[in-house]
Amino acid sequence: MNPFVPMIEFQHVRRTFGRTVAVDDLSLSVLPGEIFAFLGPNGAGKTTTIKMLVGLLHPSQGTIRVAGWDVVEHPREAAQLIGYVPDEPFLYDKLTGREFLDFIARVRGMSPRQAQERIAQQAELFQLEDFLDQLTETYSHGMKQRIVFASVLLHDPPLLVADEPMIGLDPRSVRLVKDLMRARAAEGKTVFISTHTLALAEEIADRIGIIHRGRLIFVGSLAQMHQQGLMQDKNLEEFFLELTNTQLQSQSSTDTFTPADSLPTSTPAIPEALPPSQHRSASA
Amino acid sequence: MATSWVLPADGKTTTSLGPILPSLSAEAWAFWRLRCQRTIWALRRVLQESRLRLALVLLLSGVLWGVIFWLCWDGFRFLRSAVGHAPTHDQIVHHVFGMYLLALMLMLMISCGILLYGMLFRGPDISLLLTLPVSAQRVFLHKFQEAVWLSSWAFVLLSSPMFVAYGLVAHSPWYYYAVLVPFLISFSYIPAAIGAMACLVVVRWFPGARMLFLVGVILVLVAGGAWLVRGLSSTEPGDLLTPHWFQSMLHRLRFSQHRMLPSWWVSMGILEAAQPKQPAPWASRPPWAESLLFLTVTISNALLFRQIAAGVGQRWYRTAYSRLHTQQHASDQELRRRFWLTGVVRFLRQWSHWASQNVDRLLVHLPMGSQTIRLLVVKDFRLFRRDPVQWSQFLVFFGLVLFYFLHMRPFSYDIHHATWVNMVSFLNLSVVGLLLSTFTTRFVFPTISLEGRRFWLLGLLPLRREQILWSKFIYAFGSSVFPCSLLVLLSDWKLGISPLIIGIHQLTAGLLAMGLSGISVGLGAKMPNFQETSPARIAAGFGGTLCLVLSALYIVLIVAMTALPSHFWLALQTGQATWSSGPFGLWETNIRFWMFLGIGCSLLLGLTATAVPMYLGFRAFRRMEF
Repeated sequence: MNPFVPMIEFQHVRRTFGRTVAVDDLSLSVLPGEIFAFLGPNGAGKTTTIKMLVGLLHPSQGTIRVAGWDVVEHPREAAQLIGYVPDEPFLYDKLTGREFLDFIARVRGMSPRQAQERIAQQAELFQLEDFLDQLTETYSHGMKQRIVFASVLLHDPPLLVADEPMIGLDPRSVRLVKDLMRARAAEGKTVFISTHTLALAEEIADRIGIIHRGRLIFVGSLAQMHQQGLMQDKNLEEFFLELTNTQLQSQSSTDTFTPADSLPTSTPAIPEALPPSQHRSASA
Repeated sequence: MATSWVLPADGKTTTSLGPILPSLSAEAWAFWRLRCQRTIWALRRVLQESRLRLALVLLLSGVLWGVIFWLCWDGFRFLRSAVGHAPTHDQIVHHVFGMYLLALMLMLMISCGILLYGMLFRGPDISLLLTLPVSAQRVFLHKFQEAVWLSSWAFVLLSSPMFVAYGLVAHSPWYYYAVLVPFLISFSYIPAAIGAMACLVVVRWFPGARMLFLVGVILVLVAGGAWLVRGLSSTEPGDLLTPHWFQSMLHRLRFSQHRMLPSWWVSMGILEAAQPKQPAPWASRPPWAESLLFLTVTISNALLFRQIAAGVGQRWYRTAYSRLHTQQHASDQELRRRFWLTGVVRFLRQWSHWASQNVDRLLVHLPMGSQTIRLLVVKDFRLFRRDPVQWSQFLVFFGLVLFYFLHMRPFSYDIHHATWVNMVSFLNLSVVGLLLSTFTTRFVFPTISLEGRRFWLLGLLPLRREQILWSKFIYAFGSSVFPCSLLVLLSDWKLGISPLIIGIHQLTAGLLAMGLSGISVGLGAKMPNFQETSPARIAAGFGGTLCLVLSALYIVLIVAMTALPSHFWLALQTGQATWSSGPFGLWETNIRFWMFLGIGCSLLLGLTATAVPMYLGFRAFRRMEF
C-alpha cells in the first residue's frame, strides 16, 4: 500500500439539512496506518461526517474519497475498502450470528470456504463460539457489538470506521478492540473513530480532530499540542472543553462564525497529514 | 485474505483496477439465501410457538376464501341463468373482470409504493445494506420483491376464489386453472413496478412534499371513484336491470376496456382460457392460443416494467435516500420555494399545531379520572397525532365510510321501505363497529406491549399500574366513541330513521366503543409481546388475532341483540307482520318486552366485555415483571 496516498480525503465538504449546516467546508486527509479520533459535542456533525464517508449521505458540496475512490461516484468500490461500525448497529434478529456473518462474507465476495475460515478466525478473536449459532434476537448489547466488529473485520478492510465503538462493550472487549485498532494501524491500515470518550482518543489516536457546529476547529496530534504549548498543563478534556466553549461564546457574541478568529492564537492551521510514524515518534 | 484490493494508480482517478467486487450473480445469491434463511427461521418459530395462531389464521383465511367462492359461484350462476344471450353474458363478465382488475391495479400501485417507501427509506436494515459493496439495484430489487409479495398475497387470496368459481360455472378446461397463477403473478408485478418507480421519483425529486403527493393521489382516486359511483347509481326509477340499464352500465365502464391496460390483457386472457376447446367458427386461433398470447404480453410487460424499475433504482435510490434523510429538517420557507404547494402543508401544520395545543388543554381539564390519568391520556394522544401511520389510516378508513354515508341517497335505496332501511342502518352500524375494531386492534392493543419496552420510565414514576391501564382505556374509548357516534348519526339522518331507533343506535355505538376498548386494552395487558418493536407485528401476533376475532364476535352479538327486536318492531309498525304471527308470537306487549330484553342484554354484554378483559388485564399487569 502506498503510505502517501490518503486513505480518507475530505475536500471542502459541506452538508446541509434544510437551512441547518451540519458540516461546513470540511477538508481533511487521513493516511494509511493512522488512527484518527473525531471528537465533538453532541450535534457537532460527527455522525453526519461518518455517514457521508461510508456513503449513506451525499455531500451537498465537495468530494470525499476513500483510497482515491469517490464515495458518491463509486460507492461499491469505496464500501469494499471500508469496515463500518455504526452507532446503532443492525443485526437481522431472525438469523443466527453465524448466518449473519456468512451473509456479510458472501456480499463481500468470499467463497463459502473462505467465508467459513474467516468466520472461524473472527469467532475465536471475539470469543463468539458460545452464542454464534443462536438467533441474534437473544443477544445482549455487548454480544451484538462483538458480532458487528467481527462482521466489519471479516474482509480485513484497509479502513475501519467506527462511530462510538466502545458503547456496550465489557472491559475485556474494550481492551480487545483497542489492541485491535493499534494492531491494524501497525499493519498500515487506517482507523477512523468518532467518540465522546476523550480518554480513548488520548490513549490510542495518532491525530485528533475536533468538530464543533459543523466546522473542524482543530486537527493535530497530542504531541503537536504539547510541542506548540496548546495544552499547557491541561489534559485533553480541559482542552476540548475550553476549545468548544470558546467557540460557543464566540458564536453567541457575533452572528458571523469564523473558526480561525475564535481559535486560540497559537493554534496552528490544520496541518498536512503526516505519516503516522512521525506522530508516534513525536509523542515518544 | 478473501478479497484483495488494488488502489487506483494515482489515488485520485478511478480508471485503474479497483477493489475486487462480488459478481452480480453472487450478490443476488447472497440476498436470496438471506431471505430463505430468515423465512425458515420465522416459519420454524411460528410452528414452535404459535401453532394456535397459525391454525386460526389458516382457518379464517379458508373461511374467507370459501365465502368469497360461494358468493361468486352463486353470482356467476345467476348471471348465466339470467342472461341467456352468450355474447352479452361474456361482455358483462369481461367488464366485471376488467373493472375488478383495474381497481386492484390502482390499489396495488399505491400499496406497493407506500410499502417500498417504508422498506427502502425507513427500514432498519437499510443503513447496513447501503454500506456494503452491493449495487443499489440489488438492495432495491430485494425490497421490491418483498413489497410485491406483501402487497399481492391478499390480491391472490381474494381473486382466486372468484376466478375458480367462474371456471367451474363456465365448465372451463384444465388449462384455465393452470394459467391463472402466472396471469395473477405477472399482473401484480406491473402495478408494483409503477408504484415503486413513483415512490423513487417522488422521494428523489420532491422529498419534502412526499405526503402531499400521497394525499393528492388518494384524493384524485377518491374523486374518480365518486364520479364513477355517482354515474353508475343515477338510475331512472323502474329502469333497474333492464336491457337499457345494462347497455348504459357497459357504456359507462368502457374506459376499463382500453387495450393498453394490463387489466384488459389479463381479463381477456383468462376469459379466453375459460372458453370451450373448440374455437368459434369466426376465430382465427383456438382459445388456448389466444390466452397464451395474452399471457405472453402480460409476462413480457411485467419483466419490462421490472427491468425499468430496477434501472430507476440503480440510478436514483442512493441519491433519493440521501436527499430524504437530509431534507427532514428543511424549513417551511425552503420547502415552499421548491414546491409551491407545500405552502398548504405549512398552513395545515400551523393549524394542526394550534388545534392540538387546544385539545391538549381541553383533555387536561376534562373530568375523567385523576390528574395523572389525564396526563397519560394527553401523552397517548400526542403520540397518536405525531404518528402519521396511525392518523392517516384512521382518516382513510373513517373518511371512506363518511364518504359512503354521505352518498347513500344516490345509491337509490328504496328509502320508503322501512324494514329495508332498518336493515341497512344496522349494517352501517356493523361496518362502523368493524372499522373501529381494526383501529383498536391495530393501534390500541399494541400500546401496552410498547409501553412495557420502556416501562422503566413509567415504572419509576409515583403512579399505580392500574392508572396506566385506565388511561389507555379512556384514550381508546374517548378517541373512538365520538367518530363512531357521529358516523352512525349521519347514516341515520341520511336514511331518515325514527328517533327511537336513532337512540338505540347511539346506545349501541357507545357500547361498541366501550367494549372494543375494554377488549383491546385488557387483552393487550394480558397477552403482551415485549420482543417486538413494530406495532403492526404485535397486532398480527396471536394476542392481536384473538383480539380481532373477539371484537368481531362482540360486534355481531351486540348488533344482533339490538337490531333484531327493532327490526320486528318496525315490521309490526308498518304492517308487514301481524301481531300474532312471526317468530316468538309477535304481539304488541311481547315485542316491547323483546326490545327491552335485547337492549338490556346488550348493555349487560357491553359491561361484561369491558369489565372481564380489563379485570384480567389489571391482574396480569400488576404481576408483570419488566
